[in-house]
Amino acid sequence: MDIVNTFATILARPDLWAGTLRFAAPLTLAALGGVISERSGVVNIAMEGMMLVGAFFAVLVGAATHDIVLATLASVLCGGLIATFHGVASIHLRANQIVSGMAINLFALGLTSFLMFRFYATSGTPSDIPALPDVNIPVINSIPFVGAVIGDLNSIVWVSILAVPVTWWFLFRTRIGLRIRAVGEHPRAADTLGVSVFRMRYLCVILSGLFSGLGGAYLALSVAHSFSDNMTSGAGFIALAAMIFGKWHPVGAFLACLLFGFGQSLGINLQGTGFPDQLVAATPYVLTVVALAGFVGRAVAPAADGVPYEVGE
Amino acid sequence: MRMLAAGITPVLAVVLAIIVGGIVVLASGSNPITAYESMLVGAVGSPFDISETFISSIPLILAAYAVSFAFRSGLFNIGAEGQLYMGAIAATWVATTLSDWPGLPLIIVCIVAAMAAGGAWAGIAGWLKAKTGAHEVITTMMLSYVAIDISHWLLEAGPMTPANAFGTPESGPIPPQAAFPVILPSWILPNARLNASLFLTILAGLVFAWILWRTPLGYEIRAVGLNAKAAAYGGINVARRLVIAMVIAGAFAGLAGMVPVWVQMRLYDSFSPGYGYEAIAVALVGKNSAIGIFLAGLLYGAMIHGAVAMQANANISGFLVQILQALVLFFVGAEVLIRWFLRRGGFRALAEAAS
Repeated sequence: MDIVNTFATILARPDLWAGTLRFAAPLTLAALGGVISERSGVVNIAMEGMMLVGAFFAVLVGAATHDIVLATLASVLCGGLIATFHGVASIHLRANQIVSGMAINLFALGLTSFLMFRFYATSGTPSDIPALPDVNIPVINSIPFVGAVIGDLNSIVWVSILAVPVTWWFLFRTRIGLRIRAVGEHPRAADTLGVSVFRMRYLCVILSGLFSGLGGAYLALSVAHSFSDNMTSGAGFIALAAMIFGKWHPVGAFLACLLFGFGQSLGINLQGTGFPDQLVAATPYVLTVVALAGFVGRAVAPAADGVPYEVGE
Repeated sequence: MRMLAAGITPVLAVVLAIIVGGIVVLASGSNPITAYESMLVGAVGSPFDISETFISSIPLILAAYAVSFAFRSGLFNIGAEGQLYMGAIAATWVATTLSDWPGLPLIIVCIVAAMAAGGAWAGIAGWLKAKTGAHEVITTMMLSYVAIDISHWLLEAGPMTPANAFGTPESGPIPPQAAFPVILPSWILPNARLNASLFLTILAGLVFAWILWRTPLGYEIRAVGLNAKAAAYGGINVARRLVIAMVIAGAFAGLAGMVPVWVQMRLYDSFSPGYGYEAIAVALVGKNSAIGIFLAGLLYGAMIHGAVAMQANANISGFLVQILQALVLFFVGAEVLIRWFLRRGGFRALAEAAS
């Protein structure tokens, strides 16, 4: 009975649900990036590295310029830049995309920590970096419960939520989205019809970098207000799992991110209630395994996912 | 020629990585020669450092066998980290529980426990893959997080936390008679820590190659990895082979988890600096062969150990190592680039053989 009461109290806390959205936001951005990349046929396990790069350069530029727009722009562009390396390796050099993705992750960890030591070794990152603004919605703010959940969320949380239908529309309702999916399912056919496989794939890989970079900026500027070595600590891999869990679909991926966000938020809300919080922290991971085995079934990747395309065979 | 060709890509990848890494160091305002010199001296500059380089390498090599063995069956085991944690936990639990046992039987039981726990943890992912098609990339990764959370719980305020822990997340001590014997006597090398786990690692490499290339099971696992449909048509029970491959892979990882604990003689919270993840890179650079992985593991271990001295002596971040490791991996992946260099340099035959 005690357990039931504890859970009922926690479930009624607006904090739990606001936290769910907050934790889900960076995951959603990276997972959507992954969906776009893999729909075009480029396997992308490098969201972790792209987020980390985004986080570091957001802080570096933010500390230097005190300008939130420049800081965000830098993180997005740097995410895109490192994604371009993955693009060149996977598309032009026909490298194994998992190898390339792992290399990008490792490189991002090395580079950001290396530069961290170079610039901020003694003092840590400066405290006067700009933050991404919160969005205070006046009317909703005064509604009980709902106001406490969504009345005062960070702008990037809203961006991540809005990005879900936009990505869906982009992939499934636009001409370019159709081309992207064609390139990911049957590149030879798309090529025959005059769609540039390489151009579509570069576009999508770079987009995944821009999305992940923004996720990293959010983590650094609005959650941690700093940078520390390996600060994404697996968020990009969780996003990868969410993408597969969500069957390479923007909405599915978003729902999976919400589940992970809920798990993280629940873990925090259960602290101090006598539950071993280390075990509670493991709940979303266990849930994922159970759900994947029990309900979701076989996830089918885009047919040409991970297969390099060779022009003119 | 074939041996030379197989090795040429990784070797050239290392050379390219050193060049590009040097540019990074130069761009950050330090001297790359100083950096590499102090890293090299730190890694192999003295007999003691060489023995420490081996200590850094062994968990990487064993965990890379775990990644690679699964890979031979077509599964991408990115959860060696979790399997390694389960192995470390099981071995520590057995050692601290049976602390009044005599040395040799205790060591053997601990090894068996580590391998069984790692194997079981990986086996879950294999079984789920075979039964329900659950993607092993997700399940192994999720199970890694679960294993790490379990170790936090056990060590921070759980059943394995000793009564006198004073808030340090750690297990009780491994009983001294359970230690692996140090293989370099102190009159040769004082304070050496390199122990008999080196022989276990060599043995593991032989077992790895023997199973895959000298047994019907290995043949079937490789057949499944190359083409599961064809293997099934040929009468191989694909589901069962996948589970067995994951269990064997996990057993290697479990052993990889036990070794660093048996160096520190205590299981500390977060004892692994990411062996299971770096092992993926080692497996890839080593091209999934027993000897290749051993050499790649030594290289990565040398870089890790050398970086400590480099950071202390040259004041350059030890994370240069991650940059170098990433570059090696990148160039190994982008073989086309290497072949292009070889062709440009007039080594056409080698370029064709390296593919």
